[in-house]
Amino acid sequence: MKHIQGAYLKGYVTVLVKGNMPELFFQKCNGKGIAVWNVKKMAADACEGNIKLKDIKYMKALRRKTNYKLKFLHKKGSPFVLSNLLRNKQLVTGFLLSMMLIIFLSNIIWEVKITGVPKDIEEKISKQLNEYGIHSGSWIFSLDSPSDIQQKLVYDIPELLWVGVDQKGTTYNLEGVEKTIVKKEKVKGPQNLVATKKGVIKKMYVIKGLPMVQINDYVEPGDILVSGVIDESLKSDNKDTAQDDKHLDYVAAEGDITATTWYEVAVTVPMHTNKETLTGNREKKYDIRIGKVRLPVWGFGTPEYAAIHRETDENPIRFIKWELPIRIVSTTLSEKMYNKEERTKREAIIAGMEQAKQELQLELGPDAVILSEKVLHETSEHGKVKLNLYMSVEENIIQSQPIESSTKEHKNQGD
Amino acid sequence: MKSWHRGIKPWLIKYFALPSDVILELPRITIIGQIHVYIENHQGLATYTDSELKLKTNKGYIQITGSSFVLKMMLPKEILLEGTIKDIQFLPDSH
Repeated sequence: MKHIQGAYLKGYVTVLVKGNMPELFFQKCNGKGIAVWNVKKMAADACEGNIKLKDIKYMKALRRKTNYKLKFLHKKGSPFVLSNLLRNKQLVTGFLLSMMLIIFLSNIIWEVKITGVPKDIEEKISKQLNEYGIHSGSWIFSLDSPSDIQQKLVYDIPELLWVGVDQKGTTYNLEGVEKTIVKKEKVKGPQNLVATKKGVIKKMYVIKGLPMVQINDYVEPGDILVSGVIDESLKSDNKDTAQDDKHLDYVAAEGDITATTWYEVAVTVPMHTNKETLTGNREKKYDIRIGKVRLPVWGFGTPEYAAIHRETDENPIRFIKWELPIRIVSTTLSEKMYNKEERTKREAIIAGMEQAKQELQLELGPDAVILSEKVLHETSEHGKVKLNLYMSVEENIIQSQPIESSTKEHKNQGD
Repeated sequence: MKSWHRGIKPWLIKYFALPSDVILELPRITIIGQIHVYIENHQGLATYTDSELKLKTNKGYIQITGSSFVLKMMLPKEILLEGTIKDIQFLPDSH
C-alpha cells in the first residue's frame, strides 16, 4: 500500500477511461510503473481509477497511441486545495495583511521596563529615552544598538552609575544602578602628610598637625610635610615636667600644600600632516538588504562630494521572535575633505608644546597649573621635530600616611 | 540448461526452505475472508468487470468471480481486489 501513501499530500485525480476493454489501459499504465487504485468498472466500456498527479503526463503519453478517451473527474489533494485557496482573493489578501500586521507589530517596541532605580531617576530615564525616540510604539530598527543607548544614558544622566540595556523581542529592559555619593571616609587614626613628588613648597595651609617644612623648602617624595605627632611638652610652659615624661599627642594632620614641580617631556611633532575633516554636508540613504541583494528605498545616486565618509547601520526585521533575513540598512554619506598641512619648524614646535601641555594636564588632573614650559633640546629629522621640554607645574603634592602603633612606640623609644 | 534449472528448483525449495512462489514464479494469492483477494506475481490483467477478474499467470489464468468488485490497488504484478468473492478458479492455458 505504500505506493499510494501520501497521495493526498501530493494530489491525485480520478480518471474515467472510455473505450474497448478500458481495464487493459490501466494494465498498460501499470506496465509503465504508474500506480492505479480504486479501479471501478462503471460500464462495459467505461472504467475509472485514481492516479497520482505526477503520473498524468505519463498517462497522457500512453493514451496517444490508443483509441481510449480520458476524462478527469475529480481532483483531490493538497495541491488542489492550495490552488483553490489562492484563487480566493479575499482570503489571500487577508492572509497577507495579517502577515504584514504581525511583521509590523514584531518591529515596534511594546514596553520599556526600567528596574533597579528609584522613581525619580526612573522618570528621568524614561524622559531621556523619549528624547532618543525609545518609547512604546517606536520602530525597533530605527534605534541605536543597546550598547550605544547604554553609553548615551550613562553620559546624559549623571546620577546613573551603570545601566544595562537589554532588548528582548519587543521589550526593552533597562536595569539601572544609581550612583550613591559616598562621603569621603574620614581617617580617624593619626596621620602624617607626606610629599608625593619632589618640588619646592609654594603655599601651605595647615588645618591640623605640626608643619615640618616652610615655604620655599625643597622636598623629596616621602618627606613628612605635616606631622601628626605633637609633642605636648614643647607647648607646655612647665619644662621641668616635660623632661621627666614626654607626653606625645597624635592627631590626623590635615592641610593643603602646593608645590612647584617640574617635568621633562619628550614629544615628536611631524612637519606634514594629513587631516580628514567633515564639511557638514551629508545625505542619508536607506536600503533593504535581502541576503546579498540591496534594494534602495530612499536616497538614490551618490551625491557629488569630493570624498565620502560612509557610516552604515544595519537593523534586522523581526517576525514574532525570529529575525528575518531582511535588513534595513541606513547609510550616512558625509562629505569629507583632506587637508594637507605643511608646517614650518617654528609652527611645529608651538604645536608640540601645546600638545605636551595638554598631555601633562591630562595626566596631572585639572587642579594642576602649568606655569611655564621651556624647550631644552630640539632636533629635526625625517620631517619630524623632536622636542625635549621642561615644564614647571604648581600642584598639590600631599598624601596622607597613617601613623601606625608600632611607629608610635618606636618614636616613644627614640625620643 | 533449462532442464537443469527445472531440476534444481524443487530441490532448492525442499532443502533451503526458500519460498516457492519466488523460485517457481507462481502467483501468491492471499485471501482475507470473503472481502479481499491480494494477488502478487501475476503476469497481467485479462478481464475485469464488476463481477469477474481474470489474471494471466505463467501457467494459465486465475479467475475470480463474485460481485461489486473494485480494484483497491493496481501495481505492476500486484493487485488488491475488494468485493464479495464467491469463487477462485485456476484455468489452464487454453492453447
